[in-house]
Amino acid sequence: MGGAVVVIAALSVIWWQFRPVEPPAWSENEVVILRSLSLDSLPPIPPDPSNAVADNPQAAALGARLFFDPRLSGNGAVSCATCHQPSRHFTDGLAKGQAIGTSNRNTRSIVGTAYSPWQYWDGRRDSHWAQALSPLEDPKEHGASREQVIGLIAADDEYRTAYRALFGDLGDVSADDPTALNTAFANVGKTIAAFERTLLPTTSRFDDYVAALTDNDGQVRDSLLSDDEVWGLRLFIGDANCTQCHNGPLLTNNEFHNTGVLSAPGELPDRGRATGVRQVIEDPFNCFGAYSDDPEKQCAELEFVRSGPELVGAVRTPSLRNVEDTAPYMHKGQLETLDDVLRHYNKAPDAMIGHNESKPLGLSVRQLRQLEAFLKTLTAPTLPASIS
Amino acid sequence: MITRRTAARLILVFLAVPMLQQAATAHGGVVEEDDLCVIKVSYLRAHFKVYQPQVSGHKQFCEDLPVASESVFVMEYQHDALASMPIDFRIIRDVTGKGRFARMEDVEQIDDLDSVTVYYQPALTEPDVFTVMHTFSEEGDFIGIVSATQPDTDKVYAAVFPFEVGFTGLGYWPYFIAVLLALQLQYLFMSGRLKRWTQKKSPGATASMFVAAMLAVSAAPALATDGEVLVTYSVPSGSPEINRIHSWILHVKTAAGAPVEHAKIVVEGGMPEHDHGLPTQPRVTEELGNGDYKLEGVRFHMRGYWEISVTVTTDEGESVVVISLQL
Repeated sequence: MGGAVVVIAALSVIWWQFRPVEPPAWSENEVVILRSLSLDSLPPIPPDPSNAVADNPQAAALGARLFFDPRLSGNGAVSCATCHQPSRHFTDGLAKGQAIGTSNRNTRSIVGTAYSPWQYWDGRRDSHWAQALSPLEDPKEHGASREQVIGLIAADDEYRTAYRALFGDLGDVSADDPTALNTAFANVGKTIAAFERTLLPTTSRFDDYVAALTDNDGQVRDSLLSDDEVWGLRLFIGDANCTQCHNGPLLTNNEFHNTGVLSAPGELPDRGRATGVRQVIEDPFNCFGAYSDDPEKQCAELEFVRSGPELVGAVRTPSLRNVEDTAPYMHKGQLETLDDVLRHYNKAPDAMIGHNESKPLGLSVRQLRQLEAFLKTLTAPTLPASIS
Repeated sequence: MITRRTAARLILVFLAVPMLQQAATAHGGVVEEDDLCVIKVSYLRAHFKVYQPQVSGHKQFCEDLPVASESVFVMEYQHDALASMPIDFRIIRDVTGKGRFARMEDVEQIDDLDSVTVYYQPALTEPDVFTVMHTFSEEGDFIGIVSATQPDTDKVYAAVFPFEVGFTGLGYWPYFIAVLLALQLQYLFMSGRLKRWTQKKSPGATASMFVAAMLAVSAAPALATDGEVLVTYSVPSGSPEINRIHSWILHVKTAAGAPVEHAKIVVEGGMPEHDHGLPTQPRVTEELGNGDYKLEGVRFHMRGYWEISVTVTTDEGESVVVISLQL
């Protein structure tokens, strides 16, 4: 008899702990934050004065063709789309990119990167077009050379014609004239950049929810997110501290943070931004370089760039849009699932090198599940197949 | 008055303390200081730690390692000079017969260092942090040798640290834990708590505190002063916002309200609650007259509490003014 009472009491306590609780209404302040995370708040794409053809549709069309062309590689089998696959939100589902060899880091999505002052995990390039040039000559990635790339443009009738319409006659570019060769090479990057600028995130369930919240349409709102997802969203903007870095409509501040992720098997801990900042300053294709189209050289990001010990082991915050579909996670793909990622942040272990900026969260397993449920509301359809 | 019970407890505590210290002792050029493991390469110091990420994740070891596995040695410089010095790192099997007490002199007596070397990283200048990785194929006693070369004088500084791979790490710990357990049990018995605890379980009150995030955007130009100088700011593009690089105009006045002109102004900033600085290095690029200065390169990357410190230097002296803002 006494035993039964204890069992019933225990079950009641368990039920009480896990009973469904309807989340409270959002406060005005919270609504302001929610709106700041919605795609409706996404400003127009910032201009790129270093790329004269950045917003030119013909350049974007040429760039798109180049993006998918495997002839831009040493073995004729690797294109940009080998790793940046449209069907996977321009990632590849692998820990590290696989092209001619294995690349050094996890493949980031390209979607929405026109908003970032820095490219790559370590920000070692400061524009879309400068970034687009690097993998072409990386022996582990495309394994091509700038001579080969320009040779292809010259040899392919359509490429040559499209190039001439944008930049004038390609002429006789040879390695003997490095400036002419580099200019043509930079131009190729600028067309790929023009295409990449068109890759923007699409509306997710979360954005619809915020829109319904703004329109005060309670019925639509409640049908869009479950209670668990709303609780997860509360944690996201509250106790879980996610919006410290994952803020703005792209859910990234595009800045560099050390979050104490373990080194990848067989590798030394990644220096991250500490190395990246030196590389971007030295990059001949950077904003201050001779190949920028901006006569005024408006390069505030590079001019006021910060270096220092804080950047050791820091990498650039990724967008969380479509995070459900872009596993594995972190700069070397060290963490396989969202659950792994959330448990990592819940613990916030000391970093192997540098200093982990995040603090332990002390969230319950249930709260982590709610956060994960919320993160999955950020999924949107992949871009239309017509793009490929 | 010391009762027999208290005396017994005190004896147990005294027994435990030296054991704890011995368990944490390091040896050779690597020493334990204030919970930090430090390697002393002559007078040059670095925070020293070893990881075995594949078997023990983020767990740090001072030098002895539990298993033969992939091991990452990390030296975080406490002395800036190390950042510009070529450093080489060698691990040899311990053939000195000195074990824990092996010193540089013992290593120097080894005729053929290469034949006992299991890992060698030739000299490398690492500006941020020095790391090497070695996968031990067997357990045993090893000696690590770190040499740093002063680039100007070619003087070589070295540190030697004997260590063990396959170190159970137990040492006195099991005994220590047993003592702790005994101490706790004794307390429970003597205080009668155990009895009370088994009789009735006290109802546990769970208080869950929900702290709402206060992320109000306050954009009102702040006034900051150190008593001598007043600094206000305005933002030509509207108000400070996150994730956009923008400029400020700093308005610098004396306490009496006179504009401070021709001052040298240095700006630093960060989030004290997060232990990090601004993501950019803003700079005063132009003096606009009437105590106004153009500050370029301001960027915030998080909502929350920021502090911007403005150091104003004139012929009169130096003033540091801190502007706080809640984004």
